[in-house]
Amino acid sequence: MDTSKPAIFVNGALLPMHVRKRVRTVIQVMGSDRGAVVGKSPDDLQLVVKGSPPSAPLTNFVEVIGIADSEKSIQAETWTNFGDAFDTYSYNQLCQLANGEYQHLFL
Amino acid sequence: MPVNLTPNAIATINGGDVNLKPLVQVLDIKQMGSAQERFRILVSDSVLTQHAMLGTQLNDRVKTGLVKKGSVIQLIDYICSEVQKRKIIVVLNLETIIPDCEIIGNPKMFPDATAHKTLPNTNSVQPAGVVGYNNLSSQSHGNNMSSIQPALSSQNHGGNVQSFRPTLSTLNQGSNMQSFRPALSAQTHGNDVQSFRPTVQPPYQPPPSYRNHGAVMKNEAPARIIPINALNPYQGRWAIKARVTAKGDLRRYNNARGDGKVFSFDLLDSDGGEIRVTCFNAVVDRFYDVIEVGRVYLISKGSLKPAQKNFNHLKNEWEIFLEATSTVDLCPEEDGSIPQQQFSFKPISEIETAENNSIFDIIGVVISVNPSVPILRKNGMETQRRILNLKDGSGRTVELTLWGDFCNKEGQKLQEMVDSGSFPVLAVKAGKVSDFNGKSLGTISSTQLFINPDIPEARDVKDWFDRGGHDVASVSISRDCVSGGPKNEIRKTVSQIKHAGLGRSDKPDWATVRASISFIKTDTFCYTACPLMIGDRQCNKKVTRSGNSRWQCDRCNQEFDECDYRYLLQVQIQDHTGLTWVTAFQESGEEILGCPAKELYLLKYELRDDTRFADIIRSRLFCQYLFRLKIKEEMYGDEQRVKITVIKADKVNYSSESRYMLDLISKVRRY
Repeated sequence: MDTSKPAIFVNGALLPMHVRKRVRTVIQVMGSDRGAVVGKSPDDLQLVVKGSPPSAPLTNFVEVIGIADSEKSIQAETWTNFGDAFDTYSYNQLCQLANGEYQHLFL
Repeated sequence: MPVNLTPNAIATINGGDVNLKPLVQVLDIKQMGSAQERFRILVSDSVLTQHAMLGTQLNDRVKTGLVKKGSVIQLIDYICSEVQKRKIIVVLNLETIIPDCEIIGNPKMFPDATAHKTLPNTNSVQPAGVVGYNNLSSQSHGNNMSSIQPALSSQNHGGNVQSFRPTLSTLNQGSNMQSFRPALSAQTHGNDVQSFRPTVQPPYQPPPSYRNHGAVMKNEAPARIIPINALNPYQGRWAIKARVTAKGDLRRYNNARGDGKVFSFDLLDSDGGEIRVTCFNAVVDRFYDVIEVGRVYLISKGSLKPAQKNFNHLKNEWEIFLEATSTVDLCPEEDGSIPQQQFSFKPISEIETAENNSIFDIIGVVISVNPSVPILRKNGMETQRRILNLKDGSGRTVELTLWGDFCNKEGQKLQEMVDSGSFPVLAVKAGKVSDFNGKSLGTISSTQLFINPDIPEARDVKDWFDRGGHDVASVSISRDCVSGGPKNEIRKTVSQIKHAGLGRSDKPDWATVRASISFIKTDTFCYTACPLMIGDRQCNKKVTRSGNSRWQCDRCNQEFDECDYRYLLQVQIQDHTGLTWVTAFQESGEEILGCPAKELYLLKYELRDDTRFADIIRSRLFCQYLFRLKIKEEMYGDEQRVKITVIKADKVNYSSESRYMLDLISKVRRY
């Protein structure tokens, strides 16, 4: 596990707290707009993910890791297909744990 | 004396008065009866005492100490009735005036002479009794008799023999008592006691053996109408005016005493009292056609018996049995003071915590109706069942299960209404709570259903529904609420199973463990089983080769060519706390290995394809499962060993398992 570049688990609502920091989230891909991927965050907010997606087609759910460059967009470095079924509820809970009282347990 | 009790109250009440509303003092309280809690009190007007039964609705006054020995009470509703030839006051309502008070005056037992059991000398008693009566009443205001009073009062409490006896016996003592008498009678205050004498029965009755021949005054006047709640078995004459709220079907029965028929109906009166009336055989013929639901009747005579609580859910401890002498008269004019029905509606949310089999009145909006389906009952009879969902303002919905005729009558009507887009209000009288699949309500024979009833509660719930209740999310307390597997699912870790000593009690323990498979024993993983059917179950006993190629079952004592192969799998499972051996039989073995035992057996022993066999086994290693385990300590030879059997093995569903763990985290105690 690469601990040199930790990325904070975020959902749409937590993203603004981490602008210019390295974050990770899972989006549900909704489409693309001028070279960026538009997706839905685990808490149902719209996010824009910039950067170059992998050559393989994106699945319904994609994990992205990169720098939060605004309150609503991420400059992604890593794209990982998470398949077409994903429990966004649990992931959203995880984001809240990672930013709440158990923050110290997360990188 | 802090208070004046109503003079002559006892005599007046015994004389038939019901309007005096006298002040009396409680001298004694006794709890009566075993099945029904009931209190008998001894009341005094400072001169005389008399036993009085408290209506059970007044029991609380005694229990809460509002009425106790010494209390001065005002009798509000009461009647004097004759029970087993003894007069007794039945108190239906009272007020406590002074909770605690010294005994006022020197009261004596009211000479209700009808209860004499033994008399020392019949000849001398008759005149003496009359004298005695005067004697008693005259004692009232004089203190010079005090020397014999202790004896009297002690006998008062002694039992059924009325206190009149001591007076008689003192009379027999001879002349020194006689000398008192002139003085006593001189003290008699006026004639008020005397004036009630005609209604008081003569103080003499023949000894018990002749009792039946004694002259019994028959009161031909119509019995007074009393509230249903005041009915009790100690009352001879009564009448009630009540509306029939339900009429049962005519049922025929056959028991050891022969054939018979029975029907019953429920009554409601203007005070909200309800009671069931039951008729048998010839009485059925007299009244079955007379009784109509919704009509008001005057009913008189009949015996009161304890209500059969398993059939009768009315709020009354008694049930009326009509007899040949009973009268049931239709009141032609409508009595608006008696409601058509009486409900005690509870919010649906209360069912959630109610005990199984308790009886509830519910009103709610029908939000869905399922089709009627035939159900085979345990006794082999087929019946109909229809499930509908009710919603009310308590934020809960509940399943109502209609059985039998309800499905086609009310059920059909409700389905048509819901199908056409309306949401009818349904009032359920006497539904039974069931704890099958969460909590639900079911109909029983005495249940009544009212669709869109014209009552305020119906308008309230309809109002609520129309003003947004329709869209309010509500939680079902029926089957939906049982999410995440069976209710009794207890999560354990491997080390908890060992350290908590599970399986040591008489009954097996059950636990669910999330663990990975770390090893599967492959030298023996299945056995040869008997495929024959015994009844509706397969025999499954181990079979052995019988010489040639055939299989022999010792239990079935038969031979056959082909046997069955069933798993008997020894597996090691492991979680973050430890490791343990478990045994998986046929079904759970198949769940773990993903193929039938026979297939694996053939692969290993006939095809001898060890590579594929090993692949299958290895593919299961380190897979996570949710194991449902049965844990029981058993004897193996001399050794006690805890045996853990896999009842079910489910591949972990990561999504639901995540939710389960998130829930655990939220429940972690924080310091």
